[in-house]
Amino acid sequence: MRSSDITPGYHAVTPAQQTLADLDAAARGLTVRRVRFWLIALALVAFYLVAGRLAQIDPGRLASGLPKIWHWIAQAWPPAIEEMPLFLRRTAETVAMAAIGTTLATVLAIPMAVLASRNITPVPSLYYPARWFLNALRGIDSFIFALLFVAAVGLGPFAGVLGIALHTWGSAAKFFADHIENANLGPFDAVRTTGANRLTTIAYALLPDVLPVLLSTTLFWWEFNVRASTVLGVVGAGGIGQELKNSMDLLDFPRLFTIIAVILVVVTALDQFSGWLRRRLA
Amino acid sequence: MKTFKGHVALANVSLSIVEHELVAVLGPSGAGKTTLFRCIAGLLKPDSGSVQLDGADIGQYIGRDRRRIAFVFQQFNLVARLTALENVLAGRLGHVPTWRGCLRRFERSDRLLALECLDRVGLLGQATQRSDTLSGGQQQRVAIARALAQQPRLIVADEPVASLDPNSAGSIMALLRQIARSDGVAIICSLHQPHFARSYADRIIGLSRGRVVLDLPAGKFDQAADAQLYRMS
Repeated sequence: MRSSDITPGYHAVTPAQQTLADLDAAARGLTVRRVRFWLIALALVAFYLVAGRLAQIDPGRLASGLPKIWHWIAQAWPPAIEEMPLFLRRTAETVAMAAIGTTLATVLAIPMAVLASRNITPVPSLYYPARWFLNALRGIDSFIFALLFVAAVGLGPFAGVLGIALHTWGSAAKFFADHIENANLGPFDAVRTTGANRLTTIAYALLPDVLPVLLSTTLFWWEFNVRASTVLGVVGAGGIGQELKNSMDLLDFPRLFTIIAVILVVVTALDQFSGWLRRRLA
Repeated sequence: MKTFKGHVALANVSLSIVEHELVAVLGPSGAGKTTLFRCIAGLLKPDSGSVQLDGADIGQYIGRDRRRIAFVFQQFNLVARLTALENVLAGRLGHVPTWRGCLRRFERSDRLLALECLDRVGLLGQATQRSDTLSGGQQQRVAIARALAQQPRLIVADEPVASLDPNSAGSIMALLRQIARSDGVAIICSLHQPHFARSYADRIIGLSRGRVVLDLPAGKFDQAADAQLYRMS
């Protein structure tokens, strides 16, 4: 009977207090969690040290290089206004390249997306090959495609269009396929059980669901490709990038900074426009 | 009064609740229950009129004052990746310094209080379990523990049992009633099942088309009242 006696001054421990004590005890000392945390922290530090060395991070060189850039900016005034018509035409070229490349990519992406969606693909055996193909397209940048096409079809914006189209094809189709795989297939099944064939079912039950996403991502890619394709000119694939490269080579800073300003204005305007349009579509 | 794009969701609703009281609000879908509750909890601002708690307009509440009203949601709204205990500790956020909240480093007294709240809802053993691994009924219990940890004056429960099976629902209602009795807190709870209201509430308020159409002690809510309330929609 003694053990059950409650001695004066001794307060019984409530279940909550007991649990708190258990939790604190479990958290004290060298727990598995704590060891794992420090091991991961150590591994991360080591990783960044190695990565920093490989990337040849050297703040000293940045410090000595920055004044040079300031010097260039100081030289860039007054801007090269007189060449504005040329810059605008070249920028329009870039915007057009991106628009056609992206549209082409989207059109090609739709059948590929159906093929690369596990849940609705008409040919399951082609699911993995389709995915691999898209991953390959995605893995190769428009820049590299453009490099190849400049060699194959010659200098100019057409090579850029093909580069953009191929890379965006992969990205867009993969994105659409992921979206379709996560889509609610309830309506899809419902339409299928009415006796509709697969194509009708996709057009009837899936398309209304994914169309807004499709349109808004297309707009997003267009805008993205305008930004990306400013560099395509560097490999001779047309657009404003080509003028940018020429100016840099000639160290013509007024021209260089004017072009950068034009790109900034156009990209910002496009960003606003496509944002507005996407809100309307949503 | 509250309107949405010209549609009147609430019109001239007037009601009061006292502590220790569990009030059930019944009414057909679209009657304005959720709008009313969101107004009471300060999640929506009424276009005219006010909500008063202990004589102060809750429209004037800023920041930490809001801890005096706790909300229990139909869909529980727990942070899925946090443990049951951490979710309950969220109820202390209106009491502790910001840095403690951000780092989830709570004082012993807060942790003990949270565990006691978990114990009251019968989930002490699940304290360190991730909340998304709990069943629906358990998750709602954690949400109620979170509300308790807030030490509120009023608990607003918007259809707290609508997503639960009848058994869990019954025990959640019993729990709410017990909290109202023992904690000196007022509870207003919307329901879709009149029989739950009759068995667990002290008072039943009927809402229809944004108006209070009946306000009775639970014992007086009979077949006729039920028919009247749901026929009016």
